[in-house]
Amino acid sequence: MTDGQTITCDALVVGGGIAGLQSALDLADQDFSVVIIEKDLSIGGKMIRLSKVFPTLDCSSCITTPKMASAAHHKNITIYTWCDLKELTSNKGSVRARVTQKPRYVDQDKCIGCRKCEYSCPVYVPDPEQGGFCATKAIRIPFSNAIPQTAALDPESCMLCGKCEKICPTGAVDYFQKPFDFTIEATTTILSTGFEMTTIEGKPQYGDGKVPNVVTALQMERLLAPHGPYNRVLRPSDGMEPDSIAFVQCAGSRDKSMGIPYCSRFCCMYAIKQAMLLSGALPLADIYIYYMDIRAFGKGYEQFYQTAKAMGIGFIKGKVGRIEEAENGSVAVRFEAQDGTGVTTENHDLVVLSLGVLPDWSPEGICSVSTAEDHFIQTVQPSIGPTLTSRQGIFVAGAASGPKDIVDSISEAGAAAMEASNYIIAQGK
Amino acid sequence: MTDPKKMKKNKEKSEKIGVYICYCGGNISDHVDVEKVREAAEKFPGVAVARTNSFMCSDPGQELIIEDLKNGVVDRVVVASCAPSLHENTFRSAITRAGANPYIYDHANIREQVSWVLHGDKATYKAEKLVAAATGKAGLLEPLDPIRVNARKHATVIGGGIAGLKAARVLADRGLEVVLIEKTPFLGGNAAGLDTVAPLGEQCSALIAELAKGVLEHTAITVLTRSEVVGFNGYVGNYNLQVKTTLSSSSAFDKAAGHVVPFEGDNADTPTEQNVKTGAVVLATGFRSYQPKTGEYGFDDHREVLTLPEFIKQLSEVNCSGDILELNGRKIRAMAVIHCVGSRQIPGIHEEDENGYLNEYCSRTCCSSILHAANTVKEQFPKTNIYDLYRDIRTYGRGQEELYDRAARNRVVFLRFEAGNSPTVSANDDGSDYALKVTIEDGLTFSEEIEVPVDLVVLATGMEAGDVSDLVSMMKLPVGTDKFLQEVHPKLAPVEMSVSGIFLAGTAQAPMNISEACNGAAAAAVKTASLLSKGYLELDPYVAAVDQDLCRGTGACVDACLADGALEMIDAETENGTEKKARVVPALCLGCGACVAVCPTGAIDLKGWSLKQYEAMVDMIVADELIDI
Ligand SMILES: Cc1cc2nc3c(=O)[nH]c(=O)nc-3n(C[C@H](O)[C@H](O)[C@H](O)COP(=O)(O)OP(=O)(O)OC[C@H]3O[C@@H](n4cnc5c(N)ncnc54)[C@H](O)[C@@H]3O)c2cc1C
Ligand SMILES: Cc1cc2nc3c(=O)[nH]c(=O)nc-3n(C[C@H](O)[C@H](O)[C@H](O)COP(=O)(O)OP(=O)(O)OC[C@H]3O[C@@H](n4cnc5c(N)ncnc54)[C@H](O)[C@@H]3O)c2cc1C
Ligand code: SF4
Ligand code: SF4
Ligand code: SF4
Ligand code: SF4
Repeated sequence: MTDGQTITCDALVVGGGIAGLQSALDLADQDFSVVIIEKDLSIGGKMIRLSKVFPTLDCSSCITTPKMASAAHHKNITIYTWCDLKELTSNKGSVRARVTQKPRYVDQDKCIGCRKCEYSCPVYVPDPEQGGFCATKAIRIPFSNAIPQTAALDPESCMLCGKCEKICPTGAVDYFQKPFDFTIEATTTILSTGFEMTTIEGKPQYGDGKVPNVVTALQMERLLAPHGPYNRVLRPSDGMEPDSIAFVQCAGSRDKSMGIPYCSRFCCMYAIKQAMLLSGALPLADIYIYYMDIRAFGKGYEQFYQTAKAMGIGFIKGKVGRIEEAENGSVAVRFEAQDGTGVTTENHDLVVLSLGVLPDWSPEGICSVSTAEDHFIQTVQPSIGPTLTSRQGIFVAGAASGPKDIVDSISEAGAAAMEASNYIIAQGK
Repeated sequence: MTDPKKMKKNKEKSEKIGVYICYCGGNISDHVDVEKVREAAEKFPGVAVARTNSFMCSDPGQELIIEDLKNGVVDRVVVASCAPSLHENTFRSAITRAGANPYIYDHANIREQVSWVLHGDKATYKAEKLVAAATGKAGLLEPLDPIRVNARKHATVIGGGIAGLKAARVLADRGLEVVLIEKTPFLGGNAAGLDTVAPLGEQCSALIAELAKGVLEHTAITVLTRSEVVGFNGYVGNYNLQVKTTLSSSSAFDKAAGHVVPFEGDNADTPTEQNVKTGAVVLATGFRSYQPKTGEYGFDDHREVLTLPEFIKQLSEVNCSGDILELNGRKIRAMAVIHCVGSRQIPGIHEEDENGYLNEYCSRTCCSSILHAANTVKEQFPKTNIYDLYRDIRTYGRGQEELYDRAARNRVVFLRFEAGNSPTVSANDDGSDYALKVTIEDGLTFSEEIEVPVDLVVLATGMEAGDVSDLVSMMKLPVGTDKFLQEVHPKLAPVEMSVSGIFLAGTAQAPMNISEACNGAAAAAVKTASLLSKGYLELDPYVAAVDQDLCRGTGACVDACLADGALEMIDAETENGTEKKARVVPALCLGCGACVAVCPTGAIDLKGWSLKQYEAMVDMIVADELIDI
């Protein structure tokens, strides 16, 4: 590919999370040509970073990689990672995307993923793929089942010692790599840009991110993952095995004062899941979930919740108002019990926050699809055409139109692919 | 038993087996000593290389296999990892990319069958055995070609509710011929009984009308109302459905009448039976509303106790003014709604039905639906007091939490109960003229016992699986413990059924609201389109094959065959004149091997799972003492 090139295809999928991958596969299996652009270094979205997934407790990597692999090797799918979508315009029957591929400082065509650069790099940085709990190098393959298996250099941390360039067997390291612009012309687009979580920082009631041993749910996913940072569950501040762990639900959701009035939809279920996995990893630990309502609505979810209760996980009805540092690294959780007994404080060794869910991408200034009051992409026929956006020919799937668990995201991704297929056909292509 | 030394010299066997063992990022290697298994595998007969990787399915893992095949190091592949249902296709496609035949590969499941159930030495021992067996079989694998069959570009949708209507329309737009089969004279299904719907308050009849119009005006869709499937045979891409149409007896459907779209269908108003030739079937047979037992929260005992669908219907017919709701001339000064009736039942707490069965699932839609109904009442009749008795409020989706907030603002009074401490509904005896009283230990106020006198109780009754037992037995469909139809895997194959070419749409699978049912329907449609749009499809070649020289035409196999029509006797011309011989119809063969077991001459065998291959597997399992591994 050369700078400034234009690529044409039937469908452009923006975002290579589970929703985007499923949409792309469902289109490509019908022989439509698909391009996926992903802003991250690897496809897979949040799901590839999870430990095990409710309600079946399958290992998440194990069921994400089949979809990643089939998309990556599909004859009708081309994937571009590390991309910035600059502009997306739609005009009767066609869409046009201007995209910049950011420099990895590694030539993707030459890199064979041998990791020699990573092993030789002297600079250690916290590994964002492991919740920052362990270190990685300034140049690295993002994670072991990333696709593509291409190294990327983090220019912020690199000290330009030249080791990686010297050791690379294929001469792939390129300190002067430039961003690369290209254009995609497609008939239709599916937006599957997913979600991100709110941060602890900026939430004084939860300690502003300054209380040790208060972690986010995504960090807990890494602690629980079979190939996680410690290979077991340890408390980050001192490496102690926690005896008492608490989950704080709706930490930022269903709360106008924190900007998110809606329910983040999957946090009840992942908290229950993590609690179950924890009780397997730490059989002696006491595990509590502070909640307002348990929203276990999907197929098999209520049964999953009842199993967790039967396993002895403590469910405490109450709204947590304050989280503070306590003695010996433990965390004080102040909550108002819902039964009217008033405000109580309990100490725990480790606290997990089920933070709110926000859209990962805002179309503002890039694409004219409308967003709703909740900032997620608006759907114009939410009941009988849930994947239709305000622009004809642009469809939406997965968490991009509001928090959705994997099962619902996959179902919606199939639906978006169906509508997009029919749109392509209606354009006479 | 075969002497393994001899096995090594067996010329038919591959001497270039590659064994690829996965750590599964700890899922396997935490329990199985993977490197020990690799060392053992290296010594198995015919094994050229044995390698490991932290994720065999990842690109670097697949690359190991591809490189070895390309370099001629191996010509047979054994992967030892998770269940083949997850990654068989991944590895087959890797092998194809290396330019080899995808069927020269066998799979050992050392995760679900080993590391998830065994620990320590036992796990490693069993993993070695399974890998040994797989190498035994792999040595005898032959390249195979998939079976190619024509596929009709035609789909049948069973059920004309929201999901069926949506599926039919998008399939037709995709260019397939569609037959929609609905057993009642109406389209719209259960939703036809709803008024305005959560979360947005749209008029449901308008939604149905829009969907129905899209179906009725489409020339590629034939709608058969008053019709049911009474016969089913064939195979994926080529199914035959026997469809019986009966005369409508309107009284039978009086109960269904709400805001229905009465539609007579494309079939004449006469009883008929016809054969529909189709490529795939989308099941959109829906749900039925839970009917409370007599006495459950006073149901049947007090006429002031209604189910949610009954209440929705009565509310839609209200034409009183004033600020208090009136139903059938009765003023409703106070009413209670009770959540989770017939849903979220817990063993030991709730009473089982006559078959010893409980609905343990959440019905997903009733929280939003009843809050929407409560808001409708409060916003029109602010003086009607509403008590909402709930376990958890499940307003999870977009626009749903607003319903809850709005209900609170509308001064609906929320009271919370535990599953084990359900409220009771009884005749009011406090001397006032309220008909009923509801008693609850309210979890929001120190579990105080509260009694509220009311004029009406509405039970938020949930969904139960529709009765499709006829289709289940005809099509051999799997049903879950919740009695809804069961998908293959909630994430990997969420709308697929284990019977190839049969897909699931809407509430036939699980409780869903309208929007989710439409997504499920369109997702089922896209799978149908992928399957049929090419006009042909490829099936796994693991089917029986007859050695015509050995076959003596006894027909024992035909009698033993489990699939209709998969085996037939033909007249074959041989040097002895015309002789009876067995012949396999590959597309119909299940590959079950029932025929292999009964053939007196060993003339019939399964491709890819031959008796010899089984023997080789068993030999390898018991061979370790001999080959000293
Ligand atoms: C802690 C936690 C645990 C969870 N556990 C479970 C579970 O056990 N079971 C379950 O069912 N669900 C679980 N979930 C929910 C699950 O993560 C989501 O359902 C799923 O990830 C949604 O998939 P998606 O593809 O819509 O979004 P995402 O996974 O967010 O993927 C979106 C993709 O789009 C990319 N992208 C965004 N913007 C752009 C852009 N402008 N250009 C290009 N690419 C872009 C992103 O980088 C990302 O790769 C969990 C969530 C969390 C937070
Ligand atoms: C009380 C209540 C309130 C609700 N409120 C809301 C709401 O406010 N908002 C919302 O979004 N959702 C609501 N729902 C959910 C909504 O009703 C469903 O999502 C929707 O009706 C599901 O449609 P379906 O097509 O899957 O099933 P169904 O509506 O059950 O349709 C199935 C169709 O298949 C037919 N059929 C069944 N078996 C056969 C057979 N063997 N052969 C031929 N035809 C067959 C049936 O006759 C029926 O027409 C509510 C549900 C209930 C029970
Ligand atoms: S950049 Fe070079 S050294 Fe680093 S992984 Fe790629 S090929 Fe190996
Ligand atoms: S040049 Fe940068 S990335 Fe490469 S080895 Fe040195 S510090 Fe690491
Ligand atoms: S899913 Fe549960 S924890 Fe998450 S916002 Fe909703 S109610 Fe709160
Ligand atoms: S949706 Fe609400 S009322 Fe219905 S079963 Fe679930 S929790 Fe109960």
